[in-house]
Amino acid sequence: MLSLYRFLLRLYPRAYRHEFGAEMLAVFREAQTETWKKGVLARGMFCAREVAGLLRGALVEHLHAIAGSDLLTASRSRRNLTPTWSGSPTKRRFTMRSEFRFPKATAPLMALILALIVVAIEKAKAIQASLPHTNPHVGPIQPAQFTLFSTLLVVVAITCAAGLLGWAILFALRRSGLHRLSDFNPSERPPV
Amino acid sequence: MRSLPVTEPVLLILLSLAEQPRHGYSILKDVQEMSDGQVTLCTGTLYGALRRLLQDGWIDRFEESRGSRGRQAYRLTPAGRRNLQLEVTRLTHLTQVAGLRLVRVNREGEA
Repeated sequence: MLSLYRFLLRLYPRAYRHEFGAEMLAVFREAQTETWKKGVLARGMFCAREVAGLLRGALVEHLHAIAGSDLLTASRSRRNLTPTWSGSPTKRRFTMRSEFRFPKATAPLMALILALIVVAIEKAKAIQASLPHTNPHVGPIQPAQFTLFSTLLVVVAITCAAGLLGWAILFALRRSGLHRLSDFNPSERPPV
Repeated sequence: MRSLPVTEPVLLILLSLAEQPRHGYSILKDVQEMSDGQVTLCTGTLYGALRRLLQDGWIDRFEESRGSRGRQAYRLTPAGRRNLQLEVTRLTHLTQVAGLRLVRVNREGEA
């Protein structure tokens, strides 16, 4: 059970594991030692409760980490300060929304664009009405004859080509060393 | 900050820490004892709640000086204690209202 617990702990975000992982494991050990004296039913319930709790907790923490990192980035770019963790996700989301402002020119600009679209549609209708119907009659269109095998073959070929293309891009990036530039800080002095 | 009201596990954790600082396993045991075995927290729930309470500044963490293992323990902050008091007052009021309503319903039933 301890190894299963260790494995499930790995489902948590790295930062959370780093902060609470060892402590959770120690508490689990103590709880397990006590529960193991109580009998099979208690053991079963204990295991089910812990597994369910860990799965639910990992999901919640990942969601929190995703929401937190987005808000963290927004907070950093807005204030250029060390991020502080205060407030529930709901409130922080509300704060972000309240601080966002469209430029003042947005409404007139959007109204102008809408008016231009309407004018363009009307103009197109007028041109269409003024032109004589000289297009020849097009006969019934016959559906293309695809067999199942050839369709599958095409799908597989396209998938393989897309995979190869993706792999080639990744390979090229690795070869060019572009991935190393993400850690590059221009203001940092090179080591002597 | 976390808004009131709090969930039952969180309330029990806060009540457990109101008496004295405790480490994780001690909180688990105390919550079980306080709720007459009705609430048994698992470690995932406990540490999820502790993480949020730490983040909101309702509790803080320190290393226990007693014992050889140097376990992490948790205690209420003044803000946490104040919020716990508010929550208990709210629940007390709610219980009183509920009691009065039930008395009135019983009287109407008898009449």
